[in-house]
Amino acid sequence: MGGRDQKIVKKLEKKIVKKGFPDVKISADEGIVRLNGRVNLWSEVITIGYLAAKTKGVKGVINDVTAGEIERKGEEKKVTKRGVYENVSLPKRADVVIVGGGVIGCFIARELSRYKLDVVLLEKESDVACEATKANSGVVHSGIGESSGTLKQKLNVKGNKMCDKVCEELNVPFERDGLLIVITTETLPPKVRKVLPSFISNFICEKIIPYVIFRKGKKAGIPLRPVKREELLEMEPNITDKAIVGVYSPTYGVVYPYEITIALAENAIQNGVKIALNTEVEDILVEDGKVKGVLTDRGTIEAEYVINAAGIFADEVAEMAGAREFSIHPRKGSIIIFDKDMKGYINHSLSELILPQDPHTKGGGIFTTVDGNPNWGPDAIEVSDKYDKSVTAEEIDTIFECGSLLPDFQKSSLITYFAGLRAATYEEDFFIKASENVLGFVNVAGIQSPGLASSPAIAEMVRGILREIGLKMREKEEFNPIRRAIPKFSNLSIEEKKKLIKENPLYGNVICRCEHVTEGEVVDAIHRPLPATTVDAVKRRVRTGMGRCQGGFCGPKVARILARELNIPLEEVTKDGPGSNLFVGKTKSLLAEEA
Amino acid sequence: MIEVDVAIIGGGPAGLASAMKACEEGVKDILIIERGMELGGILLQCIHDGFGTFIFEETLTGPEYAQRYIDEVKKTGINVKLNTMVLEIDSAKRIIAVNQEDGLLEIEAKAIILSMGCRERTRAQILIPGDRPSGIYTAGVAQRYINIEGVIPGKKVVILGSGDIGMIMARRFTLEGAEVEGVYEVMSNPGGLTRNVVQCVEDYEIPLHLSHTITNIRGRRRVEGVTVAKVDSEMRPIKDTERFVPCDTVILSVGLIPENELSKSADVGMDPITNGPIVDEQMQTSVPGIFACGNVVHVHDLVDDVSKVAEVAGKGAAGYIDGKLKKRRSPIKVRAGRNVKYVVPQIIHGEKFDEDIRFYLRVKEIEKSVKTVVLADGERIFEKKIKIVKPPEMVKLDISPDILNRITGDELIIDVEGEEDEEKP
Repeated sequence: MGGRDQKIVKKLEKKIVKKGFPDVKISADEGIVRLNGRVNLWSEVITIGYLAAKTKGVKGVINDVTAGEIERKGEEKKVTKRGVYENVSLPKRADVVIVGGGVIGCFIARELSRYKLDVVLLEKESDVACEATKANSGVVHSGIGESSGTLKQKLNVKGNKMCDKVCEELNVPFERDGLLIVITTETLPPKVRKVLPSFISNFICEKIIPYVIFRKGKKAGIPLRPVKREELLEMEPNITDKAIVGVYSPTYGVVYPYEITIALAENAIQNGVKIALNTEVEDILVEDGKVKGVLTDRGTIEAEYVINAAGIFADEVAEMAGAREFSIHPRKGSIIIFDKDMKGYINHSLSELILPQDPHTKGGGIFTTVDGNPNWGPDAIEVSDKYDKSVTAEEIDTIFECGSLLPDFQKSSLITYFAGLRAATYEEDFFIKASENVLGFVNVAGIQSPGLASSPAIAEMVRGILREIGLKMREKEEFNPIRRAIPKFSNLSIEEKKKLIKENPLYGNVICRCEHVTEGEVVDAIHRPLPATTVDAVKRRVRTGMGRCQGGFCGPKVARILARELNIPLEEVTKDGPGSNLFVGKTKSLLAEEA
Repeated sequence: MIEVDVAIIGGGPAGLASAMKACEEGVKDILIIERGMELGGILLQCIHDGFGTFIFEETLTGPEYAQRYIDEVKKTGINVKLNTMVLEIDSAKRIIAVNQEDGLLEIEAKAIILSMGCRERTRAQILIPGDRPSGIYTAGVAQRYINIEGVIPGKKVVILGSGDIGMIMARRFTLEGAEVEGVYEVMSNPGGLTRNVVQCVEDYEIPLHLSHTITNIRGRRRVEGVTVAKVDSEMRPIKDTERFVPCDTVILSVGLIPENELSKSADVGMDPITNGPIVDEQMQTSVPGIFACGNVVHVHDLVDDVSKVAEVAGKGAAGYIDGKLKKRRSPIKVRAGRNVKYVVPQIIHGEKFDEDIRFYLRVKEIEKSVKTVVLADGERIFEKKIKIVKPPEMVKLDISPDILNRITGDELIIDVEGEEDEEKP
């Protein structure tokens, strides 16, 4: 430990050990702090991590402190991943291996597919976009919610501008519906409201706060426009009476996060990238401080460059390489989704400004998906378990409070709710760096909101890092940025529908009553470059089961089509990959077992 | 553009019976549009018996009951389009539908009968917290998997909701060799018919836990278990009664919702209590020439009732086409009174009634020794004693024309009076 590190440890001992956590051991190496030991509560683990991260001189926090209260730990039962789940044979070597098929991994894969490189992306699940990406709100933030000067803000502002072109190339819908930041009678903290005369608090809400937000945007290059009350009510007639004024952010938009990720993966495959699903990384092979390859549960791949885009598991993958400089503490976010017959109830995304703001999350809001389903949320809950994607009763209540901006909204139009885990670090900024200890290993970690909006800029940045650390990149002339989408029957005109059915009669068989999805679309999804092999994979591609009946009608039909197209018995169809079987056997099979 | 006299949306029991009646009444050009590969609707997966005791005076299975109607339909000139999904209906009675053979169909009908049935309420709609693994099914979906697709969803089953389908599935799973750990019902009384409590649950010694609910579902890829708890009088779970039940399957029988997206696209006026169209005594909706019958109007307990009311709609549609249907004068609103959740029809018309009208009502709470009373302008024009009323069992009142013709004013109120009320002078 160098002198500087000793100073850090001393400071931290004062802050942590002497403040009620005597069992926490602290060490530091080149500004990377390592914490070990045991405390009572998970919330204390989090507190300790933040205390360390905020200390001067600390570059990264590895927080391995455990808590006594950990309630549940997800366990992975060993399941077979062969058969339909082996979508490609695993190559023996590659120039670059990307670990993780979320939006970040897939964006990097597509970015690298522009060059003459052998790129392999490894994904442990049976589809891309299965973890944080699929539970993401899909919001393409403008950057106004981020602290000035962070990497997050810089990449968010840049990435937001890149989204139109990428979405056009990939043929995925992107709606810039804009965000209204709403300042209400509850924006100022109750304590402040109590002591200030109302004309002063009104002045703060009407003039000062919008001006501060506007200035912050101007500094970061984010277009914003203050909105007076009359205009606010015109823009959003259903908004609460407690709304005072607003600030409009026109560059804010929405995509489907899984759709863009699947499109990126397909386009990458089109341009030569290999995506191996159901392939779990077990070790990163390192020799003499250099990356040599990746050991997976399906064999070894030699490679000199490995990109860690493992999201919630990025710290574990970094540890395998001996290149861990951070900890990921999962922060759960749940979202409630409502029926699209509420489309048009709001015209823009809405976010109520409540001061003081939570430093670690922008908090929940109200937004509308591309198809018009209102969404409320997400909330933000620190959890100890990287597999805990449950939505609790308390969370449902909290999210319903997001809707206080729309007092007359029909909550009974709720369709479903879901949760995902943000891959938060204690530094609360993106961690995108080549490892100094392990040559060829690049961490792309701590990517939480606004990760989706930043993803195009992150991919570009990673390309730059790879070049800096010695990867030779020569452009491919034949690179094709255009990805053809599966035709969406429900969006077509009558004439287009007629034409499509004539070309392929399967488009005349509507199998989903809520979203009007046809058999043609499902069959297409199953035979795409990145095949959909599960009910959920089909759902993410064509929306079967996303409507108000939640698969009650289409579920059996989708399962049957999957069995037919994959040439497997119906009872082997799964919801989302090995271990998630829909059935336990054919009828009479349990009786036969008993006998 | 195809032109028809009557287009019937949905070829389940309501659609079939209304088609037959319209045909009997002399309508020439009738088209049934069915999204399934066969006529019969949900009856096809209901392989248990108990259907037809009123209409056929014998007990049939669902497919047998449907077949009686299908055979009749086949003898007539009624046209049927199978595997055909209706995408849209407008108030001018134009229909857009689609199938593989014809492609996109544009149909113009003189009258339409809506008979789309209902769908099941889902896990999220009743706000059950927890994980979202494989192994959570609504009862009807599980029934389809076992009885039609020939696969078993799970081995150890917890059922939430003692609606009829929930209890029928408790028995079905048991017969398949699966273990049904219990049926949990949030209300203090079973949600389905008494005969199903006896024949599907008690006879198989399946525990029925009243005033209980599921407070959490757990499982990463497949259901691993649920937490159940007792509920208090306001149906809030009581924390210290929580118990973890390992299982691999959760079956939900927590209510049915009339399926009215197409009705809404045709601007049909809806009743917020039934979630179905507001209909009159001919089963005509607020849009002239659009009729509705069966579970799309409100959820029935017995298919026999569906068939019966579908005939009213079929006759109404026939009358509408040849102009015989009574002019809609002097509408009389029918209101749900004491201990009545809803009444169908919600409106009746006429200066002079010449036929019985059957009113269907659902009560809010169990009550013994009651009297149903029909009040018109404060006057008791009809009274009927009933031993017991309960929410799962629909009350039917047939009221004759001579009573109906005594109505003055523009409102009827139907009350269920309890014993105490009776004692009042």
